[in-house]
Amino acid sequence: MSAEGTLTLLILDDESRILSALRRSLRREPYEILTAESVVEARRVLDAEAVDLVLSDHKMPGITGLQFLEEVAERHPEAVRMLITGWTETIDPKAVDALGIRAVITKPWEDAALKETLRRAAKEVG
Amino acid sequence: MRRSHREDDALGLRVVVVQPPDHGPRIAEGLEVLAGRATLEIVHDARRCLSRCDAGDVDLLVLDARRRAEVQSVLAATARSGGPPAIVIEPEAGDARALAWFRAGAVDCVSAEEAPKRLGTAVAEQLARDRARRTARGGDLGFAGNREVMEQLNSALVVVDLEGRIVYANPPAEQILGAEGSLHGADAGKRFRSGKSEEPLLLRTLRGGERFKGAEALVSRPDGSKAPVGISCAPITSPEGRRTGAVAIFQDLSEATQRRSHALQTEKLASIGQLAAGVAHEINNPMGFIHANLFQLAEYTEDLQRVWRQVEALRHAAEGADPTAVRIAAEALDKASQEADIEFVLGDLAKAIRESQEGSERIRHIVQDLRDFSHQDTGERVFADLNQCLDSTANIVWPMMKHVVSLEKDYAELPPIGCYPMQLKQVFMNLLVNAFQAIEEAVGESGELGTIALSTRIEDEQVVVSIRDSGVGIAQEHLERIFDPFFTTKRVGAGTGLGLSTSFGIVQGHGGTLSVESVPGQGTTFQLRLPLDAEAPAAS
Ligand SMILES: Nc1ncnc2c1ncn2[C@@H]1O[C@H](COP(=O)(O)OP(=O)(O)O)[C@@H](O)[C@H]1O
Ligand SMILES: [Mg+2]
Repeated sequence: MSAEGTLTLLILDDESRILSALRRSLRREPYEILTAESVVEARRVLDAEAVDLVLSDHKMPGITGLQFLEEVAERHPEAVRMLITGWTETIDPKAVDALGIRAVITKPWEDAALKETLRRAAKEVG
Repeated sequence: MRRSHREDDALGLRVVVVQPPDHGPRIAEGLEVLAGRATLEIVHDARRCLSRCDAGDVDLLVLDARRRAEVQSVLAATARSGGPPAIVIEPEAGDARALAWFRAGAVDCVSAEEAPKRLGTAVAEQLARDRARRTARGGDLGFAGNREVMEQLNSALVVVDLEGRIVYANPPAEQILGAEGSLHGADAGKRFRSGKSEEPLLLRTLRGGERFKGAEALVSRPDGSKAPVGISCAPITSPEGRRTGAVAIFQDLSEATQRRSHALQTEKLASIGQLAAGVAHEINNPMGFIHANLFQLAEYTEDLQRVWRQVEALRHAAEGADPTAVRIAAEALDKASQEADIEFVLGDLAKAIRESQEGSERIRHIVQDLRDFSHQDTGERVFADLNQCLDSTANIVWPMMKHVVSLEKDYAELPPIGCYPMQLKQVFMNLLVNAFQAIEEAVGESGELGTIALSTRIEDEQVVVSIRDSGVGIAQEHLERIFDPFFTTKRVGAGTGLGLSTSFGIVQGHGGTLSVESVPGQGTTFQLRLPLDAEAPAAS
């Protein structure tokens, strides 16, 4: 959590245009948004900042979102974890449960649904 | 391998069954209906089968496919040397299996489960075809002697005289033609019509002596209904060379043939599914941000309208002379601008539009690649540029592999090649996807790139297309199984095990070869060789 009490949200997606559009969608929401285009970058952010919420893309070069969130669960268990995927990808719901992932958002996302999902996840930060 | 034909009667038909010595499908039971009409011999392996075929008096092979490799080697050998036709008994159910056998050269495929029931008729059908071919070739009308065989045929057969009247129709023919009573003397011209409004094929055979093989026609029944048939016609000539009539063999296309096309379809769907999933994923990302951006752009527009209303109000106030009104309007404008975060909106507006344009440009590109991929492809045999076939396929699969692959291309100039481009693209796609998956497995999460090298060249009157990858390679013990249908080392969902067996069949169908070399841990090269066509057009 940042000094003023706003929640910090880290978004990881290898597609910069998606990051940019997500930022836009959330511009009036009360989060401090950090973005990362690669897992390496995301790890660096996680080590340097106190991150409350993590939203990760699933299909990325070298690693899947599930694998990355598993890593987050180990190293930063306090961060609430969420996944964003294309609707063409199938995700094993059992793996989602096992990793304690709070929400799976599909691309293309609906503005209102995205905000609502994040708000709910934010309530769990504590 | 020779096939000489004895001029003896039906009793001499010789069927060789290849079956491991254990208890297998009940072949003998299935063949009981042939008792007295054919002689059965059972051998236990491919080697003995082939040396038996060399004697030249075998009319048909029945192959028990529990030993796939044996059966494949028999089919390959008989295909090479024009040996006897073969029926395969497949232990496992499924159209794809049957299809693979058809592709490998089998004339029919019966599942082991159905063998006791269906095998007899399947064998009779094949023997009949063979015999009909010989009758048609053999010169004398002499069908009286073969009558018994013709009665037993599973295929429909009619014989017509010079005036086009039916002089003989066997029971299946009566069934397909919908006979009420005897067909004897019926006008064949009225019963057989080719697909279009042309003269019936059978009449063309009568008139001009033309032969047709595997043509399509429609049969009209007295009750007005019609049935599609596959038909082959041949003239009957007397020993002096005088034409005396014609014979036609035909099959109801709603049965055996449909089994085959169904299997083909299943398989095509698998690769179309693969392609569709890749394309859908590629379109989905840009769709995702365009969709979100448009939503925000609509909000920006509302924000701008709100601010603009305050601008208008201010201008209105400025027209009057009341400084207080102007000040209030200016403050309202400031407040509205702040609420809308107008500076951000103005800065981001152009950016959101630009990024969305980029996204739609990407989608346009994908659609264009798709069009190049399916470019005017009617599924027929045409002269095509193999470099273009390979390239357009690579473009389609590229997006899904770009994260882990660097692609190298080295194309030689090629003459147009007579081929079925859509089928070859399917082969290229299978090979490319396999190469990609092998690289994915090799590089894992290291973030490294593997290489796929595509090259084309001409060598020994052949076009050689080679696809080399730096993937995991293929273990020695798997090398001989990778072309088997359903052989896969991939997890459920990633692999069907059909890619290579289909590809092998397609390449064989083109008169070419598909070969593999692999070093485990280093990579794999697939080579596709097609004969250069002598009848290639000068320019296409
Ligand atoms: N380029 C390749 N590198 C390594 N292994 C391969 C390659 N191509 C094919 N294989 C092996 O051959 C098997 C069969 O391939 P295929 O018939 O395309 O089916 P599938 O890809 O669905 O498994 C694969 O599962 C894999 O083990
Ligand atoms: Mg494959």
